[in-house]
Amino acid sequence: MTKIKLLIVDDEIEFASTLAERMELRGIETQIANNGQEALEKVYFSPPDLVILDLKMPDMDGLEVLQGIKALHPSIEVIMLTGHGSTASGIEGMEKGAFDYLMKPVDLNDLLEKLKLAYEKHSKA
Amino acid sequence: MENSIRQEQIESFGRLMAGFSHDMKNHLGIIRESNGLMGDIIEMNVLGGNETTIDRLKKAIASIESRVCITAIMLQHLSGLAHRSDTPCSSFPVNDLLTEECTFLERFARLKQVKQVLEPGEDIPSVYNDPSLLQHIIYRAYLLCLEQLDPNQSLVIITGRNGKNATITFRLNGISQGSLEKVSFNNLLPAIEKLEGTLKKGGENHNDITLTIPSLSVTEK
Repeated sequence: MTKIKLLIVDDEIEFASTLAERMELRGIETQIANNGQEALEKVYFSPPDLVILDLKMPDMDGLEVLQGIKALHPSIEVIMLTGHGSTASGIEGMEKGAFDYLMKPVDLNDLLEKLKLAYEKHSKA
Repeated sequence: MENSIRQEQIESFGRLMAGFSHDMKNHLGIIRESNGLMGDIIEMNVLGGNETTIDRLKKAIASIESRVCITAIMLQHLSGLAHRSDTPCSSFPVNDLLTEECTFLERFARLKQVKQVLEPGEDIPSVYNDPSLLQHIIYRAYLLCLEQLDPNQSLVIITGRNGKNATITFRLNGISQGSLEKVSFNNLLPAIEKLEGTLKKGGENHNDITLTIPSLSVTEK
């Protein structure tokens, strides 16, 4: 069976690496990027199937990164993570092409469910 | 001039609080994932160890997870509460604003051993008004209501609609009839006037205080 390739983009290195470790334990091939530029480079050179993307990062806004990813590979599905109080930013992300969004701190089961659905969509593309 | 400085102060404070809650969510995210990773490792039985130790670890992990969830909800509400002061006037759902604030007001009731019950009504209209001023009025009214209540009594907060206006009723369950008549809410009146709202005592058992919040037209404020 093909392994899902996942990229986690978050400026919180500890968060990204711990989440990556948990994904690896579940058989998901995971790489991490700690800023928008690094994320786009990884998408360009080693495109993942799915991306988990933090909305607020110091160098590039998550929405900008989302647009960059979609410009490079429209079939990559992106799940946004938002720490904002309202759902507005997540909805804005979906309007710009994100598959879905989750509020931080994420529930792993919710995230895995969304990843599964996103991968199904990606596989059909 | 003084008013505009005050408004800027409120906005600054709101932004600082919103930033704080955002950062706290990031810390919580790391705590949650690290805790989850410990759980994963235990589930995989990598560590070995006797059953009692494993059970104790599992309980501790579950307790951390539960507290993280509670704190995340509180931070969600803190963030919402803080962002209300982003602009002097905005259109907002009264139920949302009240739920956010009651998350933090509940502590005052708990300390007084009064039960807080929130009963958000259905189809409550969003109102265009000053949300941070309404937060202030709710806070003051809530504390005044608590002063009238004794341990084991309850403060029920109900939202409703009155035409295009939204209403918030504070029902003081358990107080003796007529005792509310002596309570003065005069200190709140200037702020309520600024919202162009009203505050009335009444109810079937004369134990209600109802705040009416109108929706202002954009040009009014």
